[in-house]
Amino acid sequence: MNPPERRFKAAVIGCGTIAYEHLPYLSTSALVDLVAVCDRSRVSADFVRQRFNAKHTFTDHADMLAEAKPDVVHILTPPHTHVAIARDCLDASAHVICEKPMAGTAAETSDLLSYAAERQRLLVESRNYLFNDSVIDIRQIIDSGELGEILEIDLLLSLDFVAGPFGDLNLAGPGVDLPAGAVHDFLPHLAYLFLIFARHSGDVQDVQGRLSNLSGNTRAAFDHLDALVVAGRTRGRIRITSDVGPDSFRVYVRGSESSLESDLFNPFLRIDGPPNVGKRSSLGQMRNGLSLFRAGFKNLRNKVMQHGTYHGMPRMLDAIYRSLATGSPAPFKPQEMIDTARLGDRLVALKAKA
Amino acid sequence: MKVLVTGATGFLGTVVVRALAERGHDVVAMARPTATLPEPASNVTYIRGDLRQRGEWVEQIKGVEAVVHAAAAVGGSFPEQFAGTVVATENLLDNLDWRALRRFVLISSFSVYDYSRGPSRMDEQHPLEADPSRRDAYTWTKMLQEELVERTCKQHDVPFVSIRPGAIYGPGKDWDAGSAMRAGKFDLLFSPLAKMRLTHVDNCAEAIAAAVDAQGVTGPINIVDDEQPTHARYHRACRQARADVGRAIYIPWWLAATAGLGVKFINSAFLKKGARLPEILDFPRQRARWRGYSYSNAKAKKELGWTPRVRLEDAAVKMFGGKE
Repeated sequence: MNPPERRFKAAVIGCGTIAYEHLPYLSTSALVDLVAVCDRSRVSADFVRQRFNAKHTFTDHADMLAEAKPDVVHILTPPHTHVAIARDCLDASAHVICEKPMAGTAAETSDLLSYAAERQRLLVESRNYLFNDSVIDIRQIIDSGELGEILEIDLLLSLDFVAGPFGDLNLAGPGVDLPAGAVHDFLPHLAYLFLIFARHSGDVQDVQGRLSNLSGNTRAAFDHLDALVVAGRTRGRIRITSDVGPDSFRVYVRGSESSLESDLFNPFLRIDGPPNVGKRSSLGQMRNGLSLFRAGFKNLRNKVMQHGTYHGMPRMLDAIYRSLATGSPAPFKPQEMIDTARLGDRLVALKAKA
Repeated sequence: MKVLVTGATGFLGTVVVRALAERGHDVVAMARPTATLPEPASNVTYIRGDLRQRGEWVEQIKGVEAVVHAAAAVGGSFPEQFAGTVVATENLLDNLDWRALRRFVLISSFSVYDYSRGPSRMDEQHPLEADPSRRDAYTWTKMLQEELVERTCKQHDVPFVSIRPGAIYGPGKDWDAGSAMRAGKFDLLFSPLAKMRLTHVDNCAEAIAAAVDAQGVTGPINIVDDEQPTHARYHRACRQARADVGRAIYIPWWLAATAGLGVKFINSAFLKKGARLPEILDFPRQRARWRGYSYSNAKAKKELGWTPRVRLEDAAVKMFGGKE
């Protein structure tokens, strides 16, 4: 497909780790003219400008908005700064692509989306996992009806994030300055995946569980979430933990007909269901064994070829820029982002019960 | 002189602090908040701080007359190493009292050199890596750090020395006895006849302390010991000192390089150079670690008056506890 002719002046605020996932697309896309990068560290901004062929460097985002006048701004700063920066960008008539979580609460998310709508600007929160191969496959299987009615979804993220900057006690202050601490940084991924796999919109019916600090790491604040969620006829579990090895992001979707299992870090796909049930279940196991064997080779190739867990990011960004160029709807609707944030609120509220 | 040492509780920094104190300097030793501090010593004041973030340390380093900047990230992703090495250095430079500063000694690395060109005897004139993206995050961030410090010192007219140590070894850091990898009971030794650019941590620290005092000496200085054992000899010395090493299997340089070049060809021809390979199969990084070079320490000896004191055989015994 030929790209639309329009090119957008894009800018990045925040040149830390996640910027290195946005910038390869921004520096190569025919839809984008990377006009500016901004970071409080001059040396970071200068390096990124040179590495990704940006035109200008800034250390203050207000100066950048005034001088570079970008059409689209990517907000890639620590989460607690998002709301204020997003408002500044919207005031400067820029569309905004914001890293997750866009805001600390659903109310802030909703307010910010209204603020963008009033100014007729696009505001989207990053949902890069939706563009990963495995998630695309899982959604296709769900949509095909192969699993029947979706009744159970378990999303289990095991990641030693306490060992990283979120829990680095050499640094002062909270690792993530949001109500659920370090856990909050991962919440949106699990919340939107749950709602999308469940094909549920609006509030969920029930959330039980606990949000706690198992490591005692004060900077992380919260490092463990274990919640049971009921959304319509679908129930399931959302768990984020830092003390279970190895790192994995397990997805279980169980339906009235069949069930599937996958992992978003080291992808594989296992499906149990007709016709390989009962006396034929051993055939199903052999089929799944072969599938696992193939996944091993594919994952090795992906590792060598640097096709990592962020491989959905350029696809997501391309979808957003194409929607801007063509005037078509953005890949995520505001209500979906609000629903995700509301589920986030319910999960955060579990800390009061801890 | 009042000397700030960053990374003061690290493998090298600990010994540098001691060497500077022994020379009579007032040492302001900066350690990260979670670091375990050694026993108090005369002439040494420990301060806590992380250079990635402003804090009380900003006030506590006012008035230092010399800096030995040994703090750096040695692992993690590129952005993490960039933050721990380059941004941390930017924060340090932004908060120094430049009017008081008389000397800046940066602990750089031999990794900044280009191993694809230049003579086989390496000295300070050897060309620097032209394309650090083909190496690793450590090389790239150390090069950026060195450029940043040199440029800033020039702006403030402060003499700058870049100490480029080889592989610093000593108790707790033995470079896997020279092996490329362990395979069961065996150690794979790549390029067994190539020399290792080793420097014992005590020798290296003495050179750094000398660089603080060596008024008029500027620019890069390579630090390697006089003894430059081959990988095979170093492995043998470790084994003789009762190190827990495997049986050596020698992989000659031509064989390792052939494999590396083969993989490089496949990557270029069929994979659009998109593959990221482990060091043992990645030719540019293979070359940096295992290609046969000899290493000159003439500048360090002449300009710093430095003589490496600790010898390999004695060091190996101290590292591993005894002789067979």
